Amino acid sequence: MEHYNMGLTLKVWRQKNKDDQGRFETYQVKDISSEMSFLEMFDVLNENLINEGKEPIAFDHDCREGICGMCSMHINGRAHGPWAGTTTCQLHMRAFKDGDTVTVEPWRAAAFPVVKDLTVDRGAFDRIIEAGGYISVNTGNAVDANAIPIAKDKADAAFAAAACIGCGACVAACKNSSAMLFVSAKVSQLAQLPQGEPERATRALNMVAQMDKEGFGSCTNTGACEAECPKEISLTNIARLNREFIRAGFTYEK
Amino acid sequence: MKWSQFFNTSIGKKLLVGITGLFLCSFIIVHLAGNVQLLYNDGGKGFNTYAAFMGHNSLIQFIAWGLKIVILLHAIVAIQLTFSNRKARPVKYAVSPGNQTSSWYSRQMAIMGSILFIFIVVHLSDFWWKFHYQSLPTVSYEATGEPIKDLYTVVQFAFKESWLVVLYVIGMIALSFHLIHGFKSAFQTFGLNHVKYNGLINFVGVWLFGILIPLGFAIIPVVIFFK
Repeated sequence: MEHYNMGLTLKVWRQKNKDDQGRFETYQVKDISSEMSFLEMFDVLNENLINEGKEPIAFDHDCREGICGMCSMHINGRAHGPWAGTTTCQLHMRAFKDGDTVTVEPWRAAAFPVVKDLTVDRGAFDRIIEAGGYISVNTGNAVDANAIPIAKDKADAAFAAAACIGCGACVAACKNSSAMLFVSAKVSQLAQLPQGEPERATRALNMVAQMDKEGFGSCTNTGACEAECPKEISLTNIARLNREFIRAGFTYEK
Repeated sequence: MKWSQFFNTSIGKKLLVGITGLFLCSFIIVHLAGNVQLLYNDGGKGFNTYAAFMGHNSLIQFIAWGLKIVILLHAIVAIQLTFSNRKARPVKYAVSPGNQTSSWYSRQMAIMGSILFIFIVVHLSDFWWKFHYQSLPTVSYEATGEPIKDLYTVVQFAFKESWLVVLYVIGMIALSFHLIHGFKSAFQTFGLNHVKYNGLINFVGVWLFGILIPLGFAIIPVVIFFK
């Protein structure tokens, strides 16, 4: 694709801390390369702000290769911007044209309080995982990798669910701020494997209970989460979570 | 997890909404099958005999009261969920994705449901209330012997009112969009998402419950209005 430079008007959410009301600030950037990533464009903007003696914009980023799930930006109404199956760091400026106005907001959810500017606290996800998103194993020598036979399609489906990076785009994209796609991915990656079997019932019950406690909304099956997920986690996982939870709720004795 | 806890979780509540919703889906099939008789050219004999049977059979009366409880349960739990969903996003986005990531009717279940609820209240007060609790003119047919209430004429008269016909058509448009999403959504909530059945569920949800049945209901007042 042809390389080009662009100038953009950016409307960025600025918020001092979680108690601040917050507001949009408008910035201009010039000479942005179409080959830059969206975060590199923000680096340029922050460089400018620092040179002008202003406070740079706080935003989360770590790996910048689409696997850490930190870059939580809601760009022009879309989680991680307009491209499908992409994190913000993998969104490139060729998605925009010279003269575009781009609105950048943090994830909006009661369960994800804004720490500063575009940075949100996704600790709620960690607490959901702590509630049951694990398997208990005895210590000792590592078990031989192929000791337990697992059907290839099951292994593939579990692996596809395990691709979830916990970025929170599903919550950001959902009109109800529901975390069902995230929780379903974490349940699905274990529920389909023999290693996940012993804690299957308690896992579903405890993770859903924690999800509700954190203040996420419920799922109305609109499918917006699946459309925005950078790892393309499927809605079939949500059905599996419902199945696991209903099964546990109806049969688990405690 | 105790039952009380289970049905207080988000998934437990959704399960209630889904089960009651599918029960209501089964009801509208029967309801339409009966009401189609309003279009028969028999002077109301078929419809009035049917209405008298439905109004006096104790098993059907038992189910009819259950039906009203189910409608209320469906609405109350769905309203609870809607309010907790609103609370989950206290600060709204300045720019929304619109229809890029989801269909508009899948996001408007509460609005469509509210329109339907208003429709149901008007509908019940128009016909069910009058049929059971007011004195109506009666007719006699050879087959039934005793005089029975002439609900057929009440309906024919009511649908000469244009605003009521418009309300019924709006109600059925709301029903259509509510069920295009609602029917398949219930199956997803039950955890029934399977490549071998998704096509069938989608087809039945869209064509039978989303289009055919609401269309069938909407035709009745329109035909009577223009007759």
